[in-house]
Amino acid sequence: MGSQLQISPAALIPLVCGLGTMVLLTLWGRVPLRYNLRNLSVRWRTTLLTALGFILIIELLTVMLAFVNGMYVLTQSTGVPGNVLVISEGFQDESISNLPNDTVTDVVLQPGIMRDENDRPLASAETYLIVVQPIENRSGRAAGRRFLPVRGVDDIEVAARVHNMSLDTGRWLSREGVTSLGAGEPDALEAMLGVGMASELGSTRTAEQLAAAKNKERLDEGEYFTLGERRFLVVGVMKSTGSAFDSEIWAKRSIVAPMFGKDSYSSVVLRAAGPKEARQLKNYLNQDYAKSVQAFVETEYFANMQETSQQFLSAIIVFVAVMSIGGLFGVMTVMFATVAQRSRDIGVLRMLGYSRLEVLASFLVESLCLALLGGGLGCFLGTFANGITVKSIVGGGAGGGKMVTLDMIVSGDILAVGLSVALIIGAIGGLLPAISAMLVKPLYSLR
Amino acid sequence: MKFLLLMFKNVRRNLLRSFLTSMATIMLVLVITMVWSILDFLDAATREKEKDLKAIITERWQIPSRMPFAYVPELERGGARNPGDVQPADSMTWQFYGGTLDKDKFDRNSMLFAIAMEPKKLETMMDDLDKLQGKEKTDFHEVVQKLENNRQGIILGIDRLKALNKRVGDRFKLFGLNYKNIDLEFEIVGLFPIGGRYDQSAVMNRDYLNAAIDEYPQKHNGQKHPMGDRNLTLFWIRVNSKADFERIAEQVTTSPAFSNPAVKCETAASGVANFLDSYRDIFFGMRYLLTPAAIISLCVVSANAISISVRERRQELAVMKVLGFRPLQIMLMVLGEAMFLSLLAGLVGAWGAWYLINEYLGGLAIPIAFFGKFFISNNAFWWGPAIGLLAGLVGSLGPAWSACSVKVTEVFSKVA
Repeated sequence: MGSQLQISPAALIPLVCGLGTMVLLTLWGRVPLRYNLRNLSVRWRTTLLTALGFILIIELLTVMLAFVNGMYVLTQSTGVPGNVLVISEGFQDESISNLPNDTVTDVVLQPGIMRDENDRPLASAETYLIVVQPIENRSGRAAGRRFLPVRGVDDIEVAARVHNMSLDTGRWLSREGVTSLGAGEPDALEAMLGVGMASELGSTRTAEQLAAAKNKERLDEGEYFTLGERRFLVVGVMKSTGSAFDSEIWAKRSIVAPMFGKDSYSSVVLRAAGPKEARQLKNYLNQDYAKSVQAFVETEYFANMQETSQQFLSAIIVFVAVMSIGGLFGVMTVMFATVAQRSRDIGVLRMLGYSRLEVLASFLVESLCLALLGGGLGCFLGTFANGITVKSIVGGGAGGGKMVTLDMIVSGDILAVGLSVALIIGAIGGLLPAISAMLVKPLYSLR
Repeated sequence: MKFLLLMFKNVRRNLLRSFLTSMATIMLVLVITMVWSILDFLDAATREKEKDLKAIITERWQIPSRMPFAYVPELERGGARNPGDVQPADSMTWQFYGGTLDKDKFDRNSMLFAIAMEPKKLETMMDDLDKLQGKEKTDFHEVVQKLENNRQGIILGIDRLKALNKRVGDRFKLFGLNYKNIDLEFEIVGLFPIGGRYDQSAVMNRDYLNAAIDEYPQKHNGQKHPMGDRNLTLFWIRVNSKADFERIAEQVTTSPAFSNPAVKCETAASGVANFLDSYRDIFFGMRYLLTPAAIISLCVVSANAISISVRERRQELAVMKVLGFRPLQIMLMVLGEAMFLSLLAGLVGAWGAWYLINEYLGGLAIPIAFFGKFFISNNAFWWGPAIGLLAGLVGSLGPAWSACSVKVTEVFSKVA
């Protein structure tokens, strides 16, 4: 959490400017800050209602940004910088790519691919499928179908090594990918689950299954689920990596690919010695390699899936901007009323020698204090969204896309943005009333 | 009547405050109508019909669905194979062809994904296009005729046309993406009705794609295209009733003609609902987080403005009591002022949302499933005033109670 709360300069600058302006206005304005704070506490009902408006808007902003941030982090943390993902030429997504077998057997023999201790290339040829699973009506969720990402792998240990996945519980897939359940029982197909997928599959268990389950939160080793017309036995759950692989089912490619009608490979992931070598390998495959393939550094491939996040971010900006303008008018109403109610106070301040600009500064500081209070509380409440697991889709907008389970992440940047937005609303909403306070004529006001 | 006039005059008395409160209400109503319009559209898309419903037949176990085109004749009969079996009232095929204008560019402005289908089905099977009336219907019929007569024709939505920087009548070549090595030349024969759900769509003649797939082996040493055998993505049927749908679904799923790959048949509403399952947490947030937050903000703004107004008018309210106004009348006056203002602002907010999104922006582009754009529902014209009224009522209940409880002696003792 500590590292999450680091604030980037881009997010820090507006916040520092806002807070700095507030401090400068307080120091320069000479009207004691205590005067403004007292006024806020005396009119506590109005203060509370205005702050509530800020709280709602800023909390909402924090939660929505935490969702988008979760999508960004997921796509950024998926993939290894030293890996090269190869798919068929012209495609942007592995779910619709078809690599011929001869291309796959040839591409893994190219130079620049690391080898393991047995001199095998560190390359994982995979078939990525999205399988339709009927679900029954359970725990308030409507009956229907859901789409599950299934990654068929040839050699689970090589695949896990290439993708930096490790075992949390259970064991890896066997060489055959099938477990015998004894005489008279059909064999069960083996599957490994990412933690997100284990939770998703665990969420639709029957009451009896849940009662018998070792782990109520997720499906775990030894439990079954059905895909197509076959039962799958969960042999292991992989450790969480915060990546898209956490939302996948891994199974033996030679079994699941033909079972779901996709005989060809979708992709091959090649491990190079490092990021620089991966870029070289990518360039070689794209420019000089005889067969027509398209290669990406794996991290770049997943980074390209941020288009959905950007579109959601744009929509959030629109919603929050409109709500903020609404909030801004609310603040203006309150501040204008405050000025009207305190015209005598203003007259006294002016008689005591405070200049027009100092009165303006005082009212602006009061508005900013209100914004800071509401914004701070909104951000605080928004932090409770941190870590909440949600489902979404990430994609690059060029076909395909991945259904993923992700954690919402409230970062330091988001809190800084929330506070900055609150201060901006406070400043703009307070400016006109402060100007009207500045223009109050002392003699008239004291009559 | 005089009482009503008094209310209107009170609203006019502090024009600045009334204006600011109205503006806040307008903005928040705008947000709520936008969110509700999206949810309302999705609810309508996933609501099961009892009569004249559409169903989708797709590959049973995986997406994207890829069925053999050879399934089409049997599917057109709804898998009917025994006397008494039910057949669909109408049907259409959907194949998808995607390509790029520039072999080296894969951005949104260079790429185009078109639905390949029978042109005449555009007018009988496509949502909304089957309900066109008057001139719009005649104009679109002409466009469909052009596509029917020109195998290389393509109909585009206005947004796609602009994104590609083309005009009606222009010709262009697409380099195949999902059908690799099948590059097709097109002529833009017309547009979809502007300002509807097809602004970002493209439809081509299926015969053109199928001919290209059939010719592929001749140009590639007898090798079939990898997508050659399984290029039917969706098969749509129209059925007269729910009972007919259930019969046809049973006929299709049990037919030996559709075994490799197996197929499933679901209502269009159910298909959309299943696809939207991946977005369920987003919808939950919109329904139970965004909307309540906006409504509560609206109530808070209203409550704040009215309570300030009541506080400022305590002496006046005391005088009214002395003049014989009963507490209930005072309460109704304060409630009426708030509700009148909020009602008007709600109406303006809803109209503003409708005009801004539907007329000015031409839709709200939010990346939810395969829906390109969302439009403000016509229901917004009653949602807006209703939300305004509700917020005005809830926000002014406290201040109204405080107004009718004003103690005359207490107020005048302070004045004295």
